[in-house]
Formats: sequence, C-alpha cells, structure tokens
Amino acid sequence: MTTLSPPRRGSAPAHPPPRYRRPLGLTRESWLQYGVLLLLAVLVLAPVVPTLYQSFLDRPLYEAGGVLGAGNYVRLFTEAGFGRVVLNTALFAGLTTVLSLLIAVPMAVIVVRTKLPGGRVFAAAMQWPFFISSLILGFGWITMYGPAGFVSVEVRRVLGFLPWDLYTIPGMALTEAVALAPIVYTFCANALRQSDASLEAAAQVCGAGPLRVLRSVILPLLRPPVVYSSILVISMSVETLSVPLLFGQPVGIDVFSTFLYRNGLQSINPDYGVLGAASAIILVVTITLVALQAKLLKNAQRFVSVRGKATRPRPLDLGWLKWISAAAIAFYVVMGALIPIGGLVFRSFTQVFTPLQSPFKSLTGDNYERIFTYPVYVQSIVNSLLVAAIGAVLVSVLSLAAVMVARRSSFRFGRAVEYLALAPQAMPGIIVGIGLFWALAFAPFGLGSLLQGTLWVLIIGFGLRALPSGFGSISPSIMQIGRELDNAARVSGADWVRTFTRILAALLRPAFAGALILTFVTLLKEYSPAVFLASADTNIIGTTMLELWVQGNTGSVAALASLQIAITATFVGLAGLLLKGRHQKADDNA
Amino acid sequence: MPEVKVAHLSKRFGDNAVLRDISFTIADGEFFTLLGPSGCGKSTTLACIAGLEQPTSGSIAVGAATFVDAGTFVPPEGRNLGMVFQSYALWPHMTVAQNLAMPLKIRKVDRREQDTLITEALGKVGLAELRDRYPHQLSGGQQQRVALARALVYSPGVLLLDEPLSNLDAKLRDQARAWLKRLQTELGITTVYVTHDQEEALALSDRIAVMSKGDMVQIGAPEEIYERPATAEVAAFVGRCNFLTGTATGPREVRLDCTGQAVAVPGTAVTAGTRVTVAIRPERLEILPPGRTAPADVNVLTAQVLTSSYVGARHEYDLRLGDHVSEAETSRPGLAGEVTLVAEPAAFLLYPTTDALPQDVEALITIAQ
Ligand SMILES: Nc1ncnc2c1ncn2[C@@H]1O[C@H](COP(=O)(O)OP(=O)(O)OP(=O)(O)O)[C@@H](O)[C@H]1O
Ligand SMILES: [Mg+2]
Repeated sequence: MTTLSPPRRGSAPAHPPPRYRRPLGLTRESWLQYGVLLLLAVLVLAPVVPTLYQSFLDRPLYEAGGVLGAGNYVRLFTEAGFGRVVLNTALFAGLTTVLSLLIAVPMAVIVVRTKLPGGRVFAAAMQWPFFISSLILGFGWITMYGPAGFVSVEVRRVLGFLPWDLYTIPGMALTEAVALAPIVYTFCANALRQSDASLEAAAQVCGAGPLRVLRSVILPLLRPPVVYSSILVISMSVETLSVPLLFGQPVGIDVFSTFLYRNGLQSINPDYGVLGAASAIILVVTITLVALQAKLLKNAQRFVSVRGKATRPRPLDLGWLKWISAAAIAFYVVMGALIPIGGLVFRSFTQVFTPLQSPFKSLTGDNYERIFTYPVYVQSIVNSLLVAAIGAVLVSVLSLAAVMVARRSSFRFGRAVEYLALAPQAMPGIIVGIGLFWALAFAPFGLGSLLQGTLWVLIIGFGLRALPSGFGSISPSIMQIGRELDNAARVSGADWVRTFTRILAALLRPAFAGALILTFVTLLKEYSPAVFLASADTNIIGTTMLELWVQGNTGSVAALASLQIAITATFVGLAGLLLKGRHQKADDNA
Repeated sequence: MPEVKVAHLSKRFGDNAVLRDISFTIADGEFFTLLGPSGCGKSTTLACIAGLEQPTSGSIAVGAATFVDAGTFVPPEGRNLGMVFQSYALWPHMTVAQNLAMPLKIRKVDRREQDTLITEALGKVGLAELRDRYPHQLSGGQQQRVALARALVYSPGVLLLDEPLSNLDAKLRDQARAWLKRLQTELGITTVYVTHDQEEALALSDRIAVMSKGDMVQIGAPEEIYERPATAEVAAFVGRCNFLTGTATGPREVRLDCTGQAVAVPGTAVTAGTRVTVAIRPERLEILPPGRTAPADVNVLTAQVLTSSYVGARHEYDLRLGDHVSEAETSRPGLAGEVTLVAEPAAFLLYPTTDALPQDVEALITIAQ
C-alpha cells in the first residue's frame, strides 16, 4: 500500500465506462426482455385462444361464415353426454387422491421419522416415476394385472376367480395413485425433514409413546404438504391420458382426456364445437386447480420460513412394527412398480407371456427385431430422441431466459413472464395438442403449412408442457446466487446482458445442466400432445406404442417401452457421470 | 473528483415510504457517512446513488453529470462509480486478478495497461502476492481488501461503501478502519460510507448524516453530531446518553421529575412550564471525590451507586437518581453508596419532550419506588 498514483483530479474519468448500443432507443436488455415476454405469450396463447374461440363457434374454425354462440356448450351436456364424463373424472380424481395419500403419507412418516430397515433404499426407490412414463406403467399393469395379465391368470387358476378388475374407475385410480404417490411422498418427506424435531423430543420427554408422538405431533405438521400435494394430484389426474385411455376406453369409461381423444380422433366426423367447448371447460378446471396450488404453496413457504433452523430429527423406534412397515413399503415398490415394469421388460423377450406355459420356453428377440426391421418404428425412436434433444436445449434456454427476466431484472412485466412460463402446468397435453392443431390453421405467413406435420410442432407442443419444470428447476438456483454479485457487475460497468454472460452464466452452469437432463427425460416420456399433432412421418415412441397396442401387438409395445426406459436410464447415468467428472475437475482447479 | 449532489430524494416500495425527501451535498474528496439504525434507509440511499434502485422522485448528480432527475435515469453501468458491498460480492468463479480485470475488460482497457492497473490496485491494498487465489481461499479481511481494490482499479469518480467492515471481527475491524481512513485520505477520493456503527462513523468521517426511518435528521462534522445532537434521537443513537424528563421553570432552569431538584441548563427559548427532556452524556456527569466541594456555578446531584462495571480503560457506574437509573463514567474505581455528581450547565442538552426513548427502554431505566 505504498505505491499510490497521484489522485486524478479534474473532469474526464481515466477509464470511462463503455457505451452500450441502443437500437431504436431501447437498451439491449429491453429488447431481450420484451422478446422473452412476447415469445412466451405467443407460445402459451397459441393453443388457448383458438380453443376458446372454437368453443363459441358454430362450425370448424377454418371454415368461413362461422357464427358465435353458446350452442356448443348446450350440445356438450345434452347430446354428447359430458355430464357423465364430469362425474367419472371427479370420481377418478377423488379416488386417486385418496389412494395416493393413503400410500404416501404413512410411508413418508415411516421413512423420514422412524428407524426403518433399508430406509435409504426406499427413499431412493421413490424416484422411479422419473424414469418411467405413466403410459409405460399402464402397459405394465395390464400385462401383469389386466384381465389376461400374468398375475391375474395365475390368481384365477388358484382361487377360481379374479378378486379385482383393473378396467374400472377404482382400478384406474389405483394405478394412477401408484404413479402419483411419489409426488405426495416428496412433499411430505420434505416437510418432515424441515420440521423442528425439538417438538417431538419435548413430547417424548413428557412420556408420550412413539404412536402418540406420531398422532399428536407429526401428523398436524403434515397438513400443509398434504393439502398442497392433494391439489397437485387432483390436477394431474384430471388431465392424465394414459391410464384412462388404456383402462377406461375398452370398457367405455370416459374421463376428460379420453372424451377429447374419442371425439377428436376416433370419430369419423369430429364435432369441433363440442371439442372446443369441452376443452374450454377442462381448462377452466385445471387453471383453477393450478392457481389454488400456487396460492397454497406461497402460504406454505411463509409457514416454513417462520420456523427457522431445523435440528436433526431423532428417528423414533417402532419396535416390531418397523418390520411390518418395511414389508408394506416393499410391497408398494415391488407390486406397484417393480413387477409391472419388470414383467413388461420380460414380456419384450418372449413370444407368449402367460403362467400357463413357462415364458422361458418362448424366449425370443423377435419383438425387437420387428421394431428394427420396420423403418417407421426406427424412425419413431429417432424422432423421440430428436424431439427430446432439441426440445431440451430450447426449453432450457427459454427457461433460463425467463428466470433471468422474472427473478433478476427490473423488467416491468417480470411477474407476467413468470406466470406465462408456469402457465402450461394448467394445460393438459391433449388440449395443447388440439389447440396447436387449430392454431396452425390460423397461423400467419403460411407458418401453419410450414410447420404442419413436422417435428417442430411436436417440439413446440412438448416443449411448452416441459417449460414449467425447466423454470422450476433453474429458479431456485438463481435465488441462491447473491444479488450483490449482479450489483457488483452492474456498478463495474456491465449492463444487464453482460452481467449475465460474464458472471451469472458461469455460476448457473450446473443448474442449466440439471435443467437439460430434467427436460430431456420429461420430453422423452411425453406423448399426449402428439396424438393430435403427429403425422405418419413424425410418430414418436409413445404414439407408436399406442398404435401397436391397438393392433394387439403387445410384444413390440413391450420392446419399445423397454427401449425407452433403457434410453432414459443410460442418458441419466451418463449425464450424472459427466457432471460428477466436471465437479471434480472444478474442485481440482480451485 | 466531483462532488455529489442529492436533492429531494424519495423512495417508496409499494406504499412503504423508505426515503422521505432527503437532500445533501458531498464535497469533492470528502469522506461522508450515512449513519442510522438498521432499516432506516442507508443502503437504499446508497443504492439510489449507485443506480441499483430507481428513486421515486428527486435528483442525483455527480460533478457535471446528472444521474437521476425527472425523465433521466442513468443505469449503474453508465455512472463510473466504485462500490464495495457488505458481502464483498467477489465473483466466486474468478481469481483475484480476474475479478479486478473484469471492469477493465468491460472498459476495453488494453491488456498491458490492465496488468499495470491490477498490480497497482492490489499494491494499494497490500495484496499483490494473492492475485491468483480464488475468493474462497482468502480470509474475510483479505476479501474485503480485494473488494476495495476491485472498486478502485478503474479510478471511479466516487467510492461507495456499504458496511464494508461489518463482517470482520472486532480487532480486525479496528485495524481495517485505520487503514481505510489512510487510504481514502491518500487517494482523496470522494467517499460515501454506510454504517450503523456510530464509533466507526465518528472515527472515519469528515461529515456524518444521521438517518432515522427514512428521514435525514442531522448532517454535520463528527464533533458537532456528538456534542450538539439535533434531536434526542440522534443523542440516543450516537454515543450513550442519559435522558431525564422535567419541566422548565425559567429560561435557564429545569425541574427534574426524578428528584424534584432544579438544575441550571444552557439558555434556551423554552417558556416556563413546558415539558422538556434533558440529556447528558455519561462522561459529562462527574463524580465528586469525597471531601471536595463543588464549584459554585455547577449543578450538584446526589445519587446512589447501584452497580459498577470495569470496562478496561474506565469504570462505568449505574446510579439511582431519584426514581431513575443514570450512567456515569469515570476513571475512579470502587465507588459505592451515596455519591455526589456535578454537571456543568453546558453539559446538558435540552429537547422538547417527545418519546425520545422507546417505552421498553424507559421501563428499564425507571425504578419502582
Ligand atoms: N426491495 C424492497 N422492497 C420492499 N421494501 C424494501 C426493499 N428494500 C428495502 N426495503 C425496506 O426499506 C427499508 C430500508 O432498507 P435499507 O436496506 O435501506 O436499510 P438499512 O438502513 O441499510 O438497514 P441495515 O443497516 O439493516 O442494512 C427497510 O425497512 C426495508 O424493509
Ligand atoms: Mg443496509
């Protein structure tokens, strides 16, 4: 601190800050921020607006001379029998919610708060739905527990009758609940981990037994996550297509999504007005549910932040009950996921799959061979990979931009950007499909015919659905980066854009990689918008599986499903290794 | 180096008015401190100068450049200021040298000059040998100095410091304070310093602005702030102070509530009968050694020693003065029982009675009879 340059007195700064260009009088950041807002608005509104418009129009929206009116809504409830559909959906969603709570809440308490043999394994096992789409789970359940399923046949042989029927609303609800239980589990487990263990310790000191502690201390803690995840499960089961399509369709049980599927795809002369009206009503329901969720989550966060630091919970000892608990959880994992998926994979290697004849006798590679000999099937795998890869990059970039604008800028419409990015949560995949289909008919500059039947439409539709997960995975990471880091860059002379490229981009790299992986897997599993959007050339694994399923070609369905699971697992494994390697390198550098 | 002019600055978040019509001018090369309790709006004021917050109204100018005025808002990157943040905000993925190079790269300074400037700036803060370390490999004190070097490396017009010493431990803080003062004097850079530590403010500043709940209460040199606080609130915040309530009985006399005794005070314009608050610093309450008589023109009060505490260089006594607890400070140890206090009339500060102290503090210093 000895060599001091003489203080520079006078006017001109020694190193003036750079001048940034302002095209048309707007700063670079304004251009970018308005750009993101506009892009999101177009993407989100593209499927919604035509749908709403169609719902009030007396003829298909591409025909001239349409007249607006409420006639579609009247027809929906009279001729089309939508009342029954509403009832079915309510029953299905309600039952799914109850069942998934029954499965997941006790499991969360037991895994997080008690000494459980193999607790870590169970906690990890709850990740399984990340790798397996509900469509594949549905195939697996039918393969094992369906009327002609492997397990069913065996049970019927032993008992003389089959005590369950999968092709009913309770059967559908049970399968869906098995698929959604991990979501409830995650919310409850997090709440339990964060909660203050001293409450429990206090109760234990007062002489309360383990069961009493559970009842009077732990369960009340669970109210917020239970309420929140219930709403989440309701909204997810309201929009789901897979299980109702596979289980309900053959016996004529219609819910929201299959009603649209049947009226839009399977009827020879689809009534677009009724389709639009049904979509509009479903949208109102899902938007309400998602808005409710957002509100509850906000309250829940307030609740958590008040509580402050958590102490490490001391697990309760349930005594002999813990073995029963462990067995119950194992039963869920094994019967719910392991056997159906394992069975499906096994099925893909056999000719006939029934307990009446040892499946080992008919081991074969035919199912795979069929897929690899027909170019259309190979094409659908390639298409799936293309959509997932390109889509993951685009969605992650857009999510990152949206998070930056919503959370890290003084942009006037930052809030709107956030709402737009999260809005697709409330848009069922099948409605995204129908809506985009109609939007293409509307699109200016011949954009419609340019995109129609290309993979780009699928990328747009799937990407839209994956946007909330992308946003949700990046947003917490950005909140962890202190705002003063940005401010320091701004004061040093970097504008908003350069602050991002020079500082935040590097710090957000891990979060971005995480978003890439998450969206890739999400996009690979997605298929519901494609049932309306895919053409013969742009089938993806999901739509091809549905097609093969309808043809009764279950062996090939099983093979495709196994391939999809294998691709997902390989990708996640490789990505994990790659990220780990990078981390280690970074640590060595540091 | 230019002067900083802030005029009628207001800032509201929603309907929460955080700054209310604040004006001040900082002279060229001055060390100017914003002092006030937590949440009073110091950081917000600094952020407005830096351009990180957009004021609701008011104007800010540095030298000839207007940064904020009706219809004008220069973004932070256009202001050429240097700023040190409370958390230091060193970019964690860059070495010390890269941190310092960033503002220079942005300014397109050529490589060779960059290197000289970085070496020079790191030399100033005495960290030349640490240029290739990452921030997490530095101690808190070193990080703070790197942050300062980064703020100085491009010779900014004004240096803004937001509680730069608050993350250091007590001893380091004292050293850093002296060092910072020296550096600032040597560089002669106009500096705006934010702190809630009154000792720090008194020791460092050329002038201090005391803020309270979004208002600027007093601006003045450290001695002025300490000796002649403009309000009871300033007196309470800057240094320690005894507050006694009473009623004016004449132009130079107040009858204290606690003892019923009349004391002579400096001349003021209060009319007889008004309620007033009398404030006196603990070190101005002298404890008369036994066997000495007080001079004729000073106030004499009788008090009982409640507790005494030894704080190193001096002794602090809690005294009962009527129904009130007061503090006195002296170098004399071992006082107990009844003592005689003397206070010059000039030592008393007179304020119109307001709620100078929060109720709970009031309760603490009142003794039930
Ligand atoms: N972005 C914001 N939105 C709403 N209120 C804010 C925001 N930033 C600051 N405030 C409020 O403005 C007031 C002043 O904040 P500021 O950070 O300027 O205080 P401070 O004097 O620096 O306090 P401290 O010493 O604790 O840093 C506080 O009451 C704070 O709650
Ligand atoms: Mg502050």
